[in-house]
Amino acid sequence: MNKHPEQLRDALPPDEVLLEPSGQFGNDLRNLRAAIHRAAERQTPPTVPFGWLNAAKQRRRGTQRRLMLAWSLAALLLASALPLLHHSRTAAPAPITDDTALLEQVDTAVSESVPSSLAPLDAFDNVDTTTSTNTHASLNKSEKKHVSQ
Amino acid sequence: MVSTELPPLARAESLLELADFDEVVRLYRPRIFRFLMASLADRDVAESLTQDCFLKAYTARHQFRGESSLVTWLTRIALNLLRDHLRNRRMRFWQKTRDSALDIVDVGEWLPDGACTPEDTCLQQERVREIWRSVEKLSRQQRTVFLLRFVEEMELSEIAETTGMNTSTVKSHLYRALRIVRERLSGKSEGEQ
Repeated sequence: MNKHPEQLRDALPPDEVLLEPSGQFGNDLRNLRAAIHRAAERQTPPTVPFGWLNAAKQRRRGTQRRLMLAWSLAALLLASALPLLHHSRTAAPAPITDDTALLEQVDTAVSESVPSSLAPLDAFDNVDTTTSTNTHASLNKSEKKHVSQ
Repeated sequence: MVSTELPPLARAESLLELADFDEVVRLYRPRIFRFLMASLADRDVAESLTQDCFLKAYTARHQFRGESSLVTWLTRIALNLLRDHLRNRRMRFWQKTRDSALDIVDVGEWLPDGACTPEDTCLQQERVREIWRSVEKLSRQQRTVFLLRFVEEMELSEIAETTGMNTSTVKSHLYRALRIVRERLSGKSEGEQ
């Protein structure tokens, strides 16, 4: 036989009495329970439809596929970005902070030997430089002459 | 109406054997669906999560050691799914529309027909609607505890086991939830008078 809610309430420990509302509020809560139970019953068919879990299985497979695709794409992006990253790290010159170091670098670059295929150009450049030096020297001489005159 | 009373075999591992799993679904599906629907107020999402819950239970059935009752175990799975769903929904904030949402106005309409006068019925419906509105405003933990206690009629120890809280935390959440609902209800009644 079912006990009356008030009888059940009397059997509770003192600190739990507060958690078992009685009177009008207790009735309201019972009505809420009845309403929700009834609403849920109306929303679900009494028998389980055949293949009821198939939808959940398909959703799970879909999620797994999407997850795999996302990981594959991420791996692909990483794989393609790694060589670029590596190249940019090795190719980029180290930043120069010191003036002396900068000068040394310039000196090294200037004194580098010219490749054999460019050797004639190098020779021509030397000739041109000599001619230019000579011209400067003669000009200086004539300027001095003019000044002295 | 489908009975949701715990069967005597509830603690037996054999209950979760493949042959019996249909029976497990038949017995507990309405209860899990009801809890999810009351928590989410959305019929379609509740149905999807109920399916996910039983699929998860089926795939993990060997992990069930019978330390808790079957209904506690299933409710715990449902609660985890619910938590994940709410977390994802918060991230997908643009999904505001809920076509299958259970309108709070409808809840009062589901009251069983009693031997009351139309005025009393109307008054009861309004009070149920007001409680339902208050429950929707509770924090997630308060709402869960409230629904498990007053809709699913679970014992405090069962709620503690299901939610992973200790019993005093459950009591604290329940006490606060009741106070909020009661205050709102009494405030409404006073306002009407």
